[in-house]
Amino acid sequence: MAKKIGVYVCECGTNIAEKVDINRVLTAVSPLKDVEVAQRYKLLCSGEGQDYLKQSIEEHNLTHMVVAACSPKQHELTFMNVCEKAGLNPYLFQLVNIREQCAWVTPDGEDATNKAIRQIRAAISRVHYHTALEKKEIECSPDVLVIGGGIAGIKASQLLATPERKAYLVEKTSSLGGKVRSFSKLFTNMESGLRLVEQEVESLQQNENIEVLTESEVEEILGFLGNFEVKVVNKAKDKELKFNVGAVVVATGFELFDPKGLPQYGYGKLDDVYTSLEFEEMSIADGHTKGKILLKNGKPPESVAIIHCVGREEKGYCSKVCCLYSLKFDRMLKSQLPGVKISHFYSDLCLPGKSYQRFYEDTKEIGATFIRSAKTGVTGNEKGLTIDYETEAGSKGNSAADMVILLPAMENSSDAQKFAEMLKIPLDEKNFFVEEHQLLSPVASAVEGVFVIGCARGPQSISESIVQSEAVAGKILSILVPGKKLELEARTSEISESFCTGCKTCIDVCPYGAITFNEARRISVVNQVLCHGCGNCAAACPSGAATLKHFTFPQIYQELAGVLRQECREKNRECNRKLI
Amino acid sequence: MSDNKQGATFPAEGGVREGSLDFIRQALSQGCFDAVLIPAKMPLSDSFAYALIEDESLLKDAYPLCPIMTVQGARVISALTRRGKGKKVLSAWLRPCEVRATVELSKLGQINLENIILISIDCPGVLPLADWAKEPEKTESAFSELVKGIDIEGVRPICQICDKFSATGGEDLHIGTIGMQDSLLLIPNSPKGRSILDNLGLQAAPDISDWQSQVDALTADRKKKREQAHKELESRAKGLDNLLHTFSTCINCHNCMRVCPICYCRQCFFDSDNSKFPFEDYLVRAEAAGGLRLPPETLLFHIGRMLHMSLSCVSCGACEDACPTSIPVAQVFSLVGSKNQKAFDYVPGRSADEPLPLRVYQDREFEEVEQSGARAPAPEET
Repeated sequence: MAKKIGVYVCECGTNIAEKVDINRVLTAVSPLKDVEVAQRYKLLCSGEGQDYLKQSIEEHNLTHMVVAACSPKQHELTFMNVCEKAGLNPYLFQLVNIREQCAWVTPDGEDATNKAIRQIRAAISRVHYHTALEKKEIECSPDVLVIGGGIAGIKASQLLATPERKAYLVEKTSSLGGKVRSFSKLFTNMESGLRLVEQEVESLQQNENIEVLTESEVEEILGFLGNFEVKVVNKAKDKELKFNVGAVVVATGFELFDPKGLPQYGYGKLDDVYTSLEFEEMSIADGHTKGKILLKNGKPPESVAIIHCVGREEKGYCSKVCCLYSLKFDRMLKSQLPGVKISHFYSDLCLPGKSYQRFYEDTKEIGATFIRSAKTGVTGNEKGLTIDYETEAGSKGNSAADMVILLPAMENSSDAQKFAEMLKIPLDEKNFFVEEHQLLSPVASAVEGVFVIGCARGPQSISESIVQSEAVAGKILSILVPGKKLELEARTSEISESFCTGCKTCIDVCPYGAITFNEARRISVVNQVLCHGCGNCAAACPSGAATLKHFTFPQIYQELAGVLRQECREKNRECNRKLI
Repeated sequence: MSDNKQGATFPAEGGVREGSLDFIRQALSQGCFDAVLIPAKMPLSDSFAYALIEDESLLKDAYPLCPIMTVQGARVISALTRRGKGKKVLSAWLRPCEVRATVELSKLGQINLENIILISIDCPGVLPLADWAKEPEKTESAFSELVKGIDIEGVRPICQICDKFSATGGEDLHIGTIGMQDSLLLIPNSPKGRSILDNLGLQAAPDISDWQSQVDALTADRKKKREQAHKELESRAKGLDNLLHTFSTCINCHNCMRVCPICYCRQCFFDSDNSKFPFEDYLVRAEAAGGLRLPPETLLFHIGRMLHMSLSCVSCGACEDACPTSIPVAQVFSLVGSKNQKAFDYVPGRSADEPLPLRVYQDREFEEVEQSGARAPAPEET
């Protein structure tokens, strides 16, 4: 069948039209081989523009289409959808970026026009060699594995589990609720953390689509989005359980930085120096003091010092919730011991958001002193504890206290490394899991189908963690619709069995672990689900056995030839010609 | 050369060949290995070829050092083990360049070294294959005269500038002959090599300095010759015009690729249809350039091959021997190979554990790219 190529140049408002002489471009490319129609349009990405394209494809019975407009990052998908609607396979289309890569960066209009002509010529030569690709679909499991039974994991499981979707919630300890369980009060509403957890656990237990596996650890996760094989071992019963899920949510929570590493605070050596979590545990009704705030000698403290930012400098980040819960501690202390004297030693107060400033102002009213200190230390003798501090200006002071509460930095769970390796999701320099994109894709990891929520991503408040549970549920619900098959990338790599000589170079350079070696046939094989189409293997394979669909050798060659051909001709007008 | 090498002497009153064959006979009878892969004179005396010998009596035709390189030894071992290791233990008698190519192919998944014992021998080089084809007897006698001294004129040009003619690191056992009187020096370089000496009741002693100093002196001399030769070649072959001229007599037979031990592809890209274009494309190219040399892609084939294999090129010279129009292919490739290998601090065949440079990423390399970008001259302002 004869090829009929449609070429459409977008003015992009004035973005392209102002720099590139589009009429000259159209004159230059119209006579090229198989070009059926070459036209300009104001804004091809607009609704009208898309309708115009669709009609033009149908009217001219096009077999291929070239659109010269903006970056493929922006509108490749838009125009591919237009092709699909017009009955043209979307891979028979090529988008040429004459905005970012031409109009915006080429100072001279004449140069920009010549450059645009070359770019479009290249695309026209390329599309001659395009072939229709079919998007493949695979069956996938809609079920989800949630690792970690803290508040983030509980909420995510509740939202994900439906009659058509099972959620497996794996918790290594014997009870659900994580750290929140030991918070007797939550800021800012001063409700009981335990009660909140109990409510949530109750609703969790009523949901028969959630399988809760406590005292259990995830031992192995193999596979990919839609098809993860999971092995969980119940440590108490020494029982192994295997099941399949379509997605994995890591909600492994946090641990506190150990203040023993900083001897100036006397933690572990001096009596009545506690971490914030130890103070929380002392304050819950079923704790070892029955909820009473007591010193080691059994008496209530008359004065309490709260030291902020323990380990902040060492870890290199602010844990962002310590200031807030320290205000909660003030209220807990005052409600139990109205006469207690409270002093905060802080270097910066972090009170972001709409409600915390007020919470702070109100707390100050009930009687807490805030001392700004650049350097704080704790010493002790038989009379009690002394807090030595130094202001930023260098003046020194000290203050006595019966009890010291340290606010240590939050760290990633000690299991983080294990899961990073098991799931191949990287940790950042602060040892928290890396987001796929910090701003645009915060709960997804670098691996498709694996998500990270709550404090495993970095310090979070309870409400932030729950927002992330909701976000991850939204993500997973939209990707893994029960019964719906998963659409795969069509532009993947493939390895020719007859050309592959089994040197495994491709396996070494594949960043997605998508290539395996078939020992029996002694060839490399691409997993079409894991392949992202980066092309590393195709570039590295000396045999030409690995090829990337839509970026084949003839396609790239023709594209280059299309760019360079014009140049040779121009040059050779004046230059001597020679046989190469 | 490592300083902690040890060696055992083995009697060779009858010369290098007889001594080597005695050693093989003893090792076979002691069960050090089950079979030998060694160059042998074919029954019709028409050529030398590698032979897989299990029967000791057939060793009479074996030539541990033969005057020509017909098929590169690494290609032979690849043919034997590409589909996996053998059950029996094979000792392969190879020239140092063949050992190095074998090690490279093992990294590329084309050779399984598990049941192979690599034995190399101090190499005087080989004579051009064309000489043998013209006058076999004369060539053979010339070689046996030449082999008495190690640094010999008359061997192939690539052999004359070879600086890796002795133990190179990848072998299990090396046979030192340079400067040895009536004996061979057996130098083990791996547990496999040491176990042979143990089985034969030979004691390896640390004093191998006589042999070592002669090897070192010759290596230094060869390095100088090699540098000089590369320099001269560079002035003749560098740049597109010079390259076109150097390869102008290429007849596209692709023999150089077919005999190359490192060219391990099942089918060369340049032989496949992927490198062929519709007629009109060639017309367009001819129109653009003024004319097109045919068949197309002649120089591109050589450049493409360089790109693919020069990091692993061991300068064995098989390509040059195979070139019917006497293009100095091996010399050009050894020049390019040396430069590329130096850039990655890589010596092909030095060790089976050393990863191929293109398969590993090092942050340092990225910095180098960034720095070289920074050093690039800024575009001139007009």
